[in-house]
Amino acid sequence: MAEHHWGWLVAIYLFLGGMGAGSFLMAAAVELTGMRYRQKYCPTALVGAGVSGPLILIGTVLLIFDLGAGLREPWRILLMFTNLQSVMTWGIWILSLFLPIAFIYGILEVMHVYPQILAWARKRLAFLPETLPYRRIKRVLAIVGGVLAIGTAIYTGVLLSVIQAVPLWNTPVLPALFLVSAVSTGMGLTFDLAATLAVPEVHRHYRHMPLIHMLFIGLEIGLLALLLISALMQGGVAAESAKLILLGKSSVVFWVLVMGFGMFYPLMVHVYAFARKSHGYLSGVLSGAGIVIAGLFVRYLIVAAAIPVAL
Amino acid sequence: MPRWAMVIDLDKCTGCQSCTVACRMENNVPFAGQEATDAGRAMYWNQVFTHIEGEYPDVKATIIPRPCFHCDNPPCVKVCPVGATYVEEENNLVLQRYERCIGCRYCAVACPYGVRYFNWYEPEWPASTESYQNPSVPLRPKGVIEKCTYCVHRLPEPVPACVQACSSGARYFGDLDDPESEVTELARGPRAIRLLEDLGTEPRCIYLKEG
Repeated sequence: MAEHHWGWLVAIYLFLGGMGAGSFLMAAAVELTGMRYRQKYCPTALVGAGVSGPLILIGTVLLIFDLGAGLREPWRILLMFTNLQSVMTWGIWILSLFLPIAFIYGILEVMHVYPQILAWARKRLAFLPETLPYRRIKRVLAIVGGVLAIGTAIYTGVLLSVIQAVPLWNTPVLPALFLVSAVSTGMGLTFDLAATLAVPEVHRHYRHMPLIHMLFIGLEIGLLALLLISALMQGGVAAESAKLILLGKSSVVFWVLVMGFGMFYPLMVHVYAFARKSHGYLSGVLSGAGIVIAGLFVRYLIVAAAIPVAL
Repeated sequence: MPRWAMVIDLDKCTGCQSCTVACRMENNVPFAGQEATDAGRAMYWNQVFTHIEGEYPDVKATIIPRPCFHCDNPPCVKVCPVGATYVEEENNLVLQRYERCIGCRYCAVACPYGVRYFNWYEPEWPASTESYQNPSVPLRPKGVIEKCTYCVHRLPEPVPACVQACSSGARYFGDLDDPESEVTELARGPRAIRLLEDLGTEPRCIYLKEG
């Protein structure tokens, strides 16, 4: 597909922003529900909290590379806080609040899992306390950060959906899709991939996960179908955009990578896992990888299929 | 303050491209090379589109010259995160502050009329044309958005370069708030149409449809 105004860098940013937010939500969810404490070692909490901030930071740096004046005169980035009418400005505010919280939460989670870090630091800085009230601090941060994470995921969709000039984007389905996809990629990364790789028998500790994940993948398929079918029914350039995704040059990517490997395969894996109360090591890893890859390509296809209204 | 507007009579337009050339010279619009043009990155503050309907032998071509529409409700101003795109007070025009523009291209995405152009490359002009550059229009660096200004530098003389150059007199320019002006009268006429009116942009470029 031809890139017009926005291309890969923006798509990758939208993807990393979503996955970072989703990973945080996973970590916050296992913390707040107490699932994190059902086992000695919770890879979902550790990976979710650990990667959230860095993923979003990488996305933000990519975005700065994409800006025409981002590197030449970086102080202009500060101006991006100024127009409160602009969804991009909302995003800058949400990110600026969410990023530090995600990083602090990640550091606290790592310190919580590895108490020797604090002990090591204490040898050099004697005023440090012996331990921290991790659960109490994390609970507060998980709630505040969780709200901001949802804000981050939704705003990446609203950014596009307010654009009347691009009928494919101009629908509230898009923010909903991006939010669901954010949670789904977060689950794919922190549960399917990380948890399976770290503790293959991990599913025993989270009985309901396959069901929850199934619901999210189903919802994602439903919203994607709603987006494309309503665009087709709308006719005009909206339909042209949808046809570009469904039948165009990149349609193989859509059908094989996104729908096949990224949605139906993981859905089957989780249906199986739900029925059998477990899934295999390889299928867990593959379904996680599929979900993450689908999250990236869904965003790229939607960004690249933007056809503006005809004059 | 005046509400400058342009009226373009599609019955009179011959598609000669005088406006495009005059605009390019007046506003120092960079010449894109072949590579940029192939990538859809050529720049035109004023562009002339040909809209073809029907199939041979019943073909109808409509020629649509397109400047910036200086909308009363401009989507570009709303989305610009840095406030580089703004409605200028003195003349009510939608203008661009190049020294503020961050180059995010959100405005270019948001403009339904496609009037906004991004400087993907260091701007270039053929050596033979450089001495003709207009000193009253600033040059724009790589990495910022630019677009038609209705020749704001010529105001208060209300004659944008495209209007002056139009060989068939298809373009009119004036103040929509002046009840006596020619544009007000034409804009009220039965042939007056505004493009993509349902988007609520309220464009101040009005076309007189063929008929």
